[in-house]
Amino acid sequence: MARGVSAFVARAVIAVGAASVVVPLLWTLLSGFKNRVDIVTPTPMLFFHPTLENFLYVAERESVRTGLLNSIIVSGCSVLIGAALGLPCAYAVARYPMRFAHDIQFFVLSLRFLPPVAIAIPLIVIWLDVGLYDTRVALVVTYSLLTLATTIWLAIPAFKRVPAEIEEAAFVDGYGPYAIFFLIALPVAWKSLIGAVVFSFVLVWNEFLIALMLTTSDAKTLPVVASEMTQLGRDVPWGILNASVILLSLPPLLFLGVLSRFLSSALKTRNQG
Amino acid sequence: MRIRTHLPFVFTAPTMAVLAVLAFVPTIDAVNIALQNRELSNPDSVYVGFANFRMLFSDPRFLNSVWVSVEWEVITVAATMAVAIPLAILMFEATSPRARNALCVLFIVPALLPRVSAAFVWRFAFHPLFGLAVYPLRLITGHPIDLLADPHTAMATVAIVDVWQWGLLFAVIIVKLLETLPRQPLEAALLDHARTWEVYAYVALPMLRGALISLVFVKMVESLRAFDLIYVMTRGGPGISTETLDMYAFSQGFIESGRISYASSMAVLMMIATTAAFTILWRRVRRWQEV
Repeated sequence: MARGVSAFVARAVIAVGAASVVVPLLWTLLSGFKNRVDIVTPTPMLFFHPTLENFLYVAERESVRTGLLNSIIVSGCSVLIGAALGLPCAYAVARYPMRFAHDIQFFVLSLRFLPPVAIAIPLIVIWLDVGLYDTRVALVVTYSLLTLATTIWLAIPAFKRVPAEIEEAAFVDGYGPYAIFFLIALPVAWKSLIGAVVFSFVLVWNEFLIALMLTTSDAKTLPVVASEMTQLGRDVPWGILNASVILLSLPPLLFLGVLSRFLSSALKTRNQG
Repeated sequence: MRIRTHLPFVFTAPTMAVLAVLAFVPTIDAVNIALQNRELSNPDSVYVGFANFRMLFSDPRFLNSVWVSVEWEVITVAATMAVAIPLAILMFEATSPRARNALCVLFIVPALLPRVSAAFVWRFAFHPLFGLAVYPLRLITGHPIDLLADPHTAMATVAIVDVWQWGLLFAVIIVKLLETLPRQPLEAALLDHARTWEVYAYVALPMLRGALISLVFVKMVESLRAFDLIYVMTRGGPGISTETLDMYAFSQGFIESGRISYASSMAVLMMIATTAAFTILWRRVRRWQEV
């Protein structure tokens, strides 16, 4: 009996946790399809005439289009740089006995300790001085620091999980060290590496503070544009705001499956190894 | 079996060089700017030594923001772990593996959301007039309650959003770690008539000690990045009751006065304090994990 009661309480607590995720997000989604009058009701309205007006308004705004384009280019380029430079580095650290392996790992980790505001303030001055302030180039370069550090940190364990025997067999078959990396290690570790790269994408797509400080108009990314939606008028236009929040949140959520699998596999091998 | 190869050098040297430039140029320049009196509107500046730093320590708003940051750090780290550990244990005990996997995917969602989005979702939910989260409060008391405009509740309300993102993610991580634990010690404890909570308190959680300490460490680092949430939800207000260090540095450097040197001196202090604290802590963490 006592067991039945405690199981019931446990499930109730879990249900509250699940509701805390589903309800606010669903509410934001619904409100994106609501007219202003249906949002501004003292009693929350569950049934209403849906409208596409908010989404159309958001899609037609010049600032949103530029923001979306900027976000795609900036996160795309910095993720590519992070992967192209970070994955080989992670492989070397994971596979070859090096004097500095520990120092490299600690250095990469310590980059995460830096408060973003502490990097952003001097970078304003630096980019102003070289005439690249408020450009996508400046953001790509700055974000590459983030993507590189993240990719390296997450890819080292992924490469370590590749069985050494496979690489040794390839070596016996006459593969050189570079061929082993490109033809063996990369394809074998591919699934985990994708997780690491996607994670770095989510990180820069969501990044706000640095983008806010390094852009004023031309290179604004989507989070900055969305944050400014509140300044459209005297009243906060919640319908439009909810629509833009949905647009902003979709890309990271597309990767929910990839990242959830990445998390599971990373944690599984961690405890066994 | 390894032949001599230059691969490690070719693969690490360029990357490390790029990282070093990207990391050290701004940090060194931060110090350089902090020693001047540069303003955004006026590129001419002279070196003023430690004047900015001296000014900081007699600036009540700076001291307030240090206190707010420490408060934020303690509240969010403690609350995140206080939500994550019990929730993980409940999920492990009371749900079928299939339901648990579905919940694990669901609980990652808040952490994946851009913080700007999360902040708006909850600012909307806490809206005094038509917010869904404060609707029950509105029904009971009969008048609107603006949690974000009250200096006593603003910080806790923003912290809820932070814990919503991190607490649930950590619960997922802890569940997955519990799943990897060997069953025998737990079953042995149950055979010895240990209660369920005792099994966790004395057997399961101590087995995960290293991982839990790392999680606390990660959360401490991540809690320093509260800017997005606070910027969207309160802008440091009401008054300066939620103005953290990064928020104050931002408003000094940008909004109010463009005193970029003054802001930079704050950034330098933050950098020194956090790097020192986390380097020492990280060494400790490594030691605890090895024991």
